[in-house]
This record gives sequence, C-alpha cells and structure tokens, in this order.
Amino acid sequence: MQSSEVISINIWQIIISLLNLLILFLIFKKLLFTPVKKVLADRQKLIDDQFDSAKKAQKNADDAKKAYEAKLSSADDEAQSIIKTAKAKAQKKSDKIVNSAKEKADDILRQAKTDAELEKKKAQSDIRHEITEVSALLTEKLLEREINTADHRNYIDSFIEKIGENNDADS
Amino acid sequence: MKEKSLSFRIVDVLLLAGFILPFVFGIALYILLEPASEGIEIAGAKIYFTLHMPLQDLPITESQVNSWIVIAALFFLCLFLTHGLSAKHPTHRQHAAEWIVEQTENLVLGNMGEYFSGFAPFVAAIMGLSAFSSLLTLIGLYPPTSDLNVVAGWALLVFILITYYKMKCGPVHYLKSFGDPVPFLAPLNVISEFATPVSMAFRHYGNVLSGSVISVLVAVGLQGVTHMILGRLPGFLGQFPFLQIGIPAILSIYFDIFSGCLQAFIFAMLTMLYISTGFPEDDYKEKLKKKKSKQN
Repeated sequence: MQSSEVISINIWQIIISLLNLLILFLIFKKLLFTPVKKVLADRQKLIDDQFDSAKKAQKNADDAKKAYEAKLSSADDEAQSIIKTAKAKAQKKSDKIVNSAKEKADDILRQAKTDAELEKKKAQSDIRHEITEVSALLTEKLLEREINTADHRNYIDSFIEKIGENNDADS
Repeated sequence: MKEKSLSFRIVDVLLLAGFILPFVFGIALYILLEPASEGIEIAGAKIYFTLHMPLQDLPITESQVNSWIVIAALFFLCLFLTHGLSAKHPTHRQHAAEWIVEQTENLVLGNMGEYFSGFAPFVAAIMGLSAFSSLLTLIGLYPPTSDLNVVAGWALLVFILITYYKMKCGPVHYLKSFGDPVPFLAPLNVISEFATPVSMAFRHYGNVLSGSVISVLVAVGLQGVTHMILGRLPGFLGQFPFLQIGIPAILSIYFDIFSGCLQAFIFAMLTMLYISTGFPEDDYKEKLKKKKSKQN
C-alpha cells in the first residue's frame, strides 16, 4: 500500500481537517456544553429558590415570634392590671367591712355603755329608795313613834346624797 | 438515589459501545489493510484510496479516517456524559461533564475575557481532538496530528478567526493595524501575521512526528544493541531483541502521552491568546458607542 510523503501539502485534506474541527466544535457545543450549562443553571435556580423560601420561612417565623412576644408582654400587663384592680377592690371592700364592723362595735359599745349607765342609775335610785324605805322603817320601828314620813325621807335622802357624793369623790 | 431503569442502562451500554467501537474499527482496519513492515520505516499516512478532485487529487489517508474515528468516539462520549443529567441527583459522570465544562469556561474566561465566553466549546474541541488524535498512538494507530495537513487545517481555521475578529472594526482599521507602530514595519507585520498559523501548525505537527520518529529510531537502535551484546547466544536467544522490551515504553510515556497532551494544551492556549490579543476590544467598544449615538 502506498503512503503519502512525510511532509506533503494537500488543500482538500486541509479543508477536511478544518471542517472536522468545526463539526467537533458543534458537537461539543450542542451535546456537551448546552445541556450541562442548562443543568447547572437549573441547579442554581433550585438553590436560589430554596434559599428564598428558607429566608421567607425565617422571616415568617421571626414575625410570628415577635407577635407572640408582644402578645405575651401585653398579657402580662393585663394580668398585672387585673390583679391591681382586684387588689384595690378587695382593699376597699375589706376597709368598708372593717369600718362598718368598727362602727357597729362602737355602736354596740356605746349602747352597752348607756344601758349600763341607765342600769346603774336605776340601780342607784332603786337602792336609794330601798335604803330610804328600810331606814324609814327602821327608825319607825326604833322610835315607835309616828314620824312625819315625808320630812324624814327628805332628811335621809339628803344624807345619802352626801354619802354618795363622798363615795363618788373617794372612788 | 433513584434506581436506574433497564432502558436507561441499555442506552448507557450502547453509548459506551459507540465510544469504544470506532477505536476497534480503526484497529481492525489497520490489521486488515496494512502489510507487516520490516525494519525502519518512516513514512507519512497510508493512502486508502484517492478521489479525483479539481486542483489536486484527494487521497483519503489514515489521518483522515483516524480523525473521523476520534470525532465519532467523542460524539458518543458527549452523549454518554450528558445522558441522564439531573439538577438534583448528579451522577459521577455528570460530575465529570460539569468539571470539563467548568474548567474550560474558566480557562477561556481567564485567558480571553468576558467577550469571548462563547469560545469554550471551540477550545474544548481543539483540546479534545488534538489530545485524542495524538493519544491514538497508544493503541497503535497512526496519529492524525503527525500529518501536517490536519494541523494546518486547524491552524487555518484559527487564522480565519483571528482575522475575523481583527476585522470587527472594519477593513480600514484592519489595514491600518499593520502600520503599527511605524508604517515602514508593515511588511514585517504582514509576515508575522501569516507566520502565526504556520508556526502553530508546524509546532504541533513537528512535535508529534518527531516523537514517533525518535521512538522508531530508538526501537531499531535497541534492536542493534541487543544483537551486538547478546548475538553470540545460540539459536533463538541470539535473535530475540531483549532490550526492546520495556525501554521504548518509557520513551512512549513522554512522546505519546505527555507531549500529546501538552501540544493539545499549547495549541488551545495559543488559539485563545492570538484571538483575544488580536481583537481591538477598546476600538470596537468605541465603534459600538458611536453607532448607538448615531441611531439615537
């Protein structure tokens, strides 16, 4: 079989080789670079989308957290105010109750005191009367004579009055 | 990860077969059509048949057929790599495809700039075609890159591209650029313009061809040395070229693998640099601005 010279120039062979390179360029472009670049772009888009959605989710979560925190603090405040008003109300009520109780007690005390005073006075006058009666009787019996009862009573009364005054001064 | 369906696997195997079969076809062609050669033979590509064309006959040689073998293999390799791409569950081969694409794009962006970002497939095509063509020697086929015509075709295409981008500002601007920096240097500028593709073609072709020539010479030389040293051994042992075992393989690592890949890289780098440095980007931008302002 023949073989060509080691160094030989052939125009058609050069053109064939040129076209070969062009064809391989087109093959590489259409079959390797275009699909691979498309896949890379797709992946980039996928990643970007995921980043976006993650960011959105993060933002939503942050917003929700803020809202909850705000709600929580307001709830705290509300509870505080409720407790405060309740306390104030209770204080008022208890004050009222205590005051009324005190008043009642004072009333009762006063009543009791006046009652006691009256009783005392009554007792005093009763006793005085009794004593007057008894002494009148005693003197009547002792003297066995008729005495003017009215005069006598006046006399003894004044006497007892004196004693009572002395007693009052002593005590 | 999702389990692959049976049809997916079958297509996979077919694509892989499409990648491997061209090489098998090349080897079969080589074995069937080439007579076993004796001794030293440094010759160009074998001519399978000749087509009669105007200007010059076109012999269809090993370099053309082997180029087509490489293109067919790369075609199926592309299909295989991009088969079953998915944005969510990338497979190993998708990682490989993405790596190739991204590396080439970074290389092109770094060397040529934003304007030429569309050149990535072209640069990848140059690298792939050149590297695979040179590496064909590993399976015993004739490397198309050691044929001057093949590399000259690529260099011619690169030259056309260089001139196209230099002409972007109009033919007047292009002709003026030859008078730079001083008008009387114009002839030298013209020569250097045409020297670009020629030097590119000869560099690549010369490197690969010289590698094969040196490999052949060393192999033959080792045969002679073995004969000299061990020739007195009786019978078969005296004829057997012991030194030819292994030693040429070490040279092959350099000349076939390293040099082949390196030349592919150099050719691609030079393509990028010549095109991007030849393009008068600033003048072109100014021209675009003027056009815009005129339209407005």
